Amino acid sequence: MLRFAAVRLIEIAALLVLMSFLIYGLLGLMPGDPIDLMRQADPRIGAADVARLKALYGLDRPLLVRYLNWAGQALQGDLGYSRLFAAPVWSTLLAPLGNSLVLMGSSFVAALGLALPLGVAAARRPSSRLDGAINLACFASVSLPTFWLALVLILVFAAGLGWLPASGLAAAGAGGVADRLRHLALPVATLTLANAGFYTRYVRAAMRDALAQDHIRTARAKGAREARVILHHALRSALIPVTTIVALSFGGLVSGALVTETMFAYPGMGKLIYDAVMGNDYNLALAALLFAAATALLANLAADLAYGWLDPRVTYR
Amino acid sequence: MPGRGRFPLLGRLVCALAVALLAGSPGRAAQHDSLTIGVTQFPATLNPDIDAMAAKSYVLGMTLRPFTVYDADWRLVCLLCTRLPSLDNRLAVPVDLGSGKKGVELTYQIRPDAKWGDGVPVTTADVLFTYQVGRDPQSAVANAEFYRRITSIDVKDDKTFTLHVDKLTFDYAAINDFVLLPAHLEREAFADPAQYRVRTHYRTDPTNPGLYNGPYRISEVATGSHLLLEPNPYWTGPPPPFRRISVRAIENTAALQANLLSGAIDMVAGELGLSIDEALAFDKAHGGAFRVLYKPGLTYEHVDLNLDRPALADRRVRQALLYGLDRAAISNSLFAGRQQVADSFVNPLDSGFTGDTPRYPYDPARAASLLDAAGWHPQGGAVRRNAQGDSLSFELMTTAGNRTRELVEQVLQSEWRKLGIDIRIKNEPARVLFGETLPHRNFDMAMYAWISAPEDVPRSTLYSTEIPNAANGFAGQNTPGFKSPAMDRLIDAAEIELDPAKRQTLWAEMQRLYATELPSLPLYFRSDAFILPKWLSGVRPTGNQYPTTLWITDWKAQP
Amino acid sequence: MRWPIALLATIAVLSFVASPLGAALGLDPNAVDLAGRLAGASLPHPLGTDELGRDVLQRLLAGGRVSLSIGIAAALAAAAFGTLVGLVAGYCGGWTDRILMRLTDAIIALPLLPLLIVLAALDLKKLGVPAALARSDNVSLLRILALAVLVSWTTAARLVRGATLVTRNRDFVRAARSLGAGVPYILRVHILPNVLAPLIVATTLSVGDVILLESVLSFLGLGIQPPLASWGTMLSNAQELMTSAPLLAVYPGMMIFMTVIACNLLGDALQQRLAAARAFAPN
Repeated sequence: MLRFAAVRLIEIAALLVLMSFLIYGLLGLMPGDPIDLMRQADPRIGAADVARLKALYGLDRPLLVRYLNWAGQALQGDLGYSRLFAAPVWSTLLAPLGNSLVLMGSSFVAALGLALPLGVAAARRPSSRLDGAINLACFASVSLPTFWLALVLILVFAAGLGWLPASGLAAAGAGGVADRLRHLALPVATLTLANAGFYTRYVRAAMRDALAQDHIRTARAKGAREARVILHHALRSALIPVTTIVALSFGGLVSGALVTETMFAYPGMGKLIYDAVMGNDYNLALAALLFAAATALLANLAADLAYGWLDPRVTYR
Repeated sequence: MPGRGRFPLLGRLVCALAVALLAGSPGRAAQHDSLTIGVTQFPATLNPDIDAMAAKSYVLGMTLRPFTVYDADWRLVCLLCTRLPSLDNRLAVPVDLGSGKKGVELTYQIRPDAKWGDGVPVTTADVLFTYQVGRDPQSAVANAEFYRRITSIDVKDDKTFTLHVDKLTFDYAAINDFVLLPAHLEREAFADPAQYRVRTHYRTDPTNPGLYNGPYRISEVATGSHLLLEPNPYWTGPPPPFRRISVRAIENTAALQANLLSGAIDMVAGELGLSIDEALAFDKAHGGAFRVLYKPGLTYEHVDLNLDRPALADRRVRQALLYGLDRAAISNSLFAGRQQVADSFVNPLDSGFTGDTPRYPYDPARAASLLDAAGWHPQGGAVRRNAQGDSLSFELMTTAGNRTRELVEQVLQSEWRKLGIDIRIKNEPARVLFGETLPHRNFDMAMYAWISAPEDVPRSTLYSTEIPNAANGFAGQNTPGFKSPAMDRLIDAAEIELDPAKRQTLWAEMQRLYATELPSLPLYFRSDAFILPKWLSGVRPTGNQYPTTLWITDWKAQP
Repeated sequence: MRWPIALLATIAVLSFVASPLGAALGLDPNAVDLAGRLAGASLPHPLGTDELGRDVLQRLLAGGRVSLSIGIAAALAAAAFGTLVGLVAGYCGGWTDRILMRLTDAIIALPLLPLLIVLAALDLKKLGVPAALARSDNVSLLRILALAVLVSWTTAARLVRGATLVTRNRDFVRAARSLGAGVPYILRVHILPNVLAPLIVATTLSVGDVILLESVLSFLGLGIQPPLASWGTMLSNAQELMTSAPLLAVYPGMMIFMTVIACNLLGDALQQRLAAARAFAPN
């Protein structure tokens, strides 16, 4: 298993290097230039100033040279400065990262909290009316455009009923935990509703397969209580596919949810990546994207390793 | 029952959470001692001289005083100085620089009571420091042209200084771009000029009161979300009206409207808020609960015509295009008449405006006859053709994602189609349009806007040497490619003409020439919509690019 | 199974038939009528008019045509591309298989929206595409198609690879090979039939995903450009008027919702039929 992990780690590293090269190249293919963007805001910036600023930010050198410079520095641990925020990249990433972890983490927990009981309930009574209803609700959740859902929630709960704040991270000034929770309520609700369907179906399918297995029938025949059958035996084997969704969602924890963050003006990683890409901020965009990718790939690896532990039937080459 | 053990705990947790959420709702404040402003952009940097950004100017309008600005009546006023230098009060002295060039020496005095937020007075040391930063090529100051024109500064005492400017223009007294940096704080950050933009206190320590000399100082920065401002204790001007001002950035305009309705924000800034048609729709649906102010401004929406295209090189075609547009109807139906139809690039509120420029009322018959005269005939098909069989068709471009412009585009397309002109709409993101397409002049027609200052001589937009091409690094803004020796002469003369009456004649001539030749089709002057709560008064939209927040001390909350 | 098919079929037929029918009747979904903006329901405009006075019903159907075309085309293209990759990986094995599978896993694991934004915002002119082509209407459609395929091909690839691995070592395949059958023949006759059913299910499901993707890209301003209508652009245009004219957002949102859920239900029902068939079919 150690050899397996080592080989996969090398593959991940190779993939990240390849991705960094690709992304740098793609960013270079974006139209315009950070300095041209600045010119839009202040048309009095003349040709001499444009040339000076471009030289200052190093934008007049060829793309490959800039990439190699970046790569060399990154390998030494220096991720460079964000041009948009005039700050070191890692310090620009910290706050949005924290915000995204809170947002995505809570909605993931909430969605799973909905998915587990619903999926189990649906799996225990296959083809019943309950099962049908839960199934339909899952499909509804998966089929809604997220930004539309966000807007409906804002209009109903914030503008209409006035129960919850429509946007932002926290009220200006002190705030406190209760205040942060209130501001999180609608974004978390949006993401939970949007994702719960997907998770529920996964859990339902996994539980159905697990419940149909032989060792469940054996346990029941031996007279074990139903709760023990479900919790101990079935859930254990159902955890394997569930680990898949956890792993798949890990990348999302770090890359944030762009649409939800935009609608709720929540400063998270999704919005940061979008702004960095649109603002041609190479250093920031690259660092954020690679970080999200690395997290996702490592989570995948962890999931694969977990299979080996959870399911004794699985062996590794 | 199986599984019962799990749920009660979960149920209790959910109940507790619900109570916490709903119980925390704030009651509506009876006293309006705080104000929350909603804007659509968050200022990424706060240093006044690095990176030009509308959101930054808006926030800094409350915290930093520039020397001079144009106020809501479009007059030049002194904010940080005591008197405007003029030739009459002899604070402005013309200087002969030799070989026919004239410069000017301007003497300003900083207000004696001006202090930074930490009590240190604003002095000429700050002036010299800011000048040093502005002139340094490595400091990343965006608009260094202003500093290059100042050849030197003489300091008389702590508050008085004289600028030596290398060119005498009619607006010599306006040093609106001169926003002072606090030398006592920033000098150490500027030790290495190349690192200044990273080490400036505006980034590392933005809540330091010593960075601000206006009525307010920034007390909290939540990047990407909001800014908090509190009164500056050392401010000696009119008292700040609010105990606290919060500026929240919400980029999505639908969410901005929802926040307004839910009371999370009190007002929407016109400079950075809803577009005019969104504001009109909002006004119609919810205007009873708010005060909506519309102010036409200096943003001149127009359609640039590429004069190198054979069809557009003919003035008759250009005039026909304008006759074929019912701009009054567009303004009335799309903008409830709130956006004034433009006849040239000069705003009617501008002092240089003259009323007798050629007008182009909606006249499709005249348009058709002009097109016929120019050699474009219907020939039985829907699209006009000329003798060589070319069809009269153009590509119309504008900034993608700007809904108002997209709406107008589609109206233009359908109106011109009635004249037999085929229009294909090709929109591009702003970055592409302004970064590449316009400078390289790869367009037929492009709809966008200029933002200018009052009495802004159109040198970069209409002068013949400012046509962007490979020779000047594609830096000019005369994108139609307008070459007129008469216009060049007028521009040169207007810049240095000090006599207001003579200047008026020059401006009138410029407008007449522009309206006859039509290098661009004037559409309208964009209005900004300010959505204010009923209890707020004293907000005077300026209509120019200087934000309303510069006059925050005039705002009042009626209980 | 019946009513999702019926729903999808109705939407599809209406959308695809509406445009030529409308053109024959002289109706133009792009006809601007400034006097009648944001009007309510009336006889000539059963669903009212939008912010430019255009008939909402016509634009809804025209938009349906665009959205459905993109959805179906992208799903088919993704299935084709995925099948190709899966076949190559499964048949060749070894390093080819390893690299291709790592790539597939990476794409499944990665957060795709940020990457899609970069790809959608690319300037084709910098890639060498001539300016006239880069700006044409078709290019924006092709771009969305390409992005959708990039996102959706992985399921098909995995399915086909799995089936290929299983089938390629079977005796009858070995026999066919020794008799001189070429690779294309084996692929076509032995491997594909086994994998066709799950592939159809995956393709049906991905139609819904592509329609949602198109709506998100249009929301971000990177999708279809005006005046071409699609449900995504109608929805993102209407969201700014959500507080004043909410119905304008309800209609396209409902259409997206109904189409996507119908696709998903259809795919699910097909999957159940498939599982039932497998349980009874020999081997």
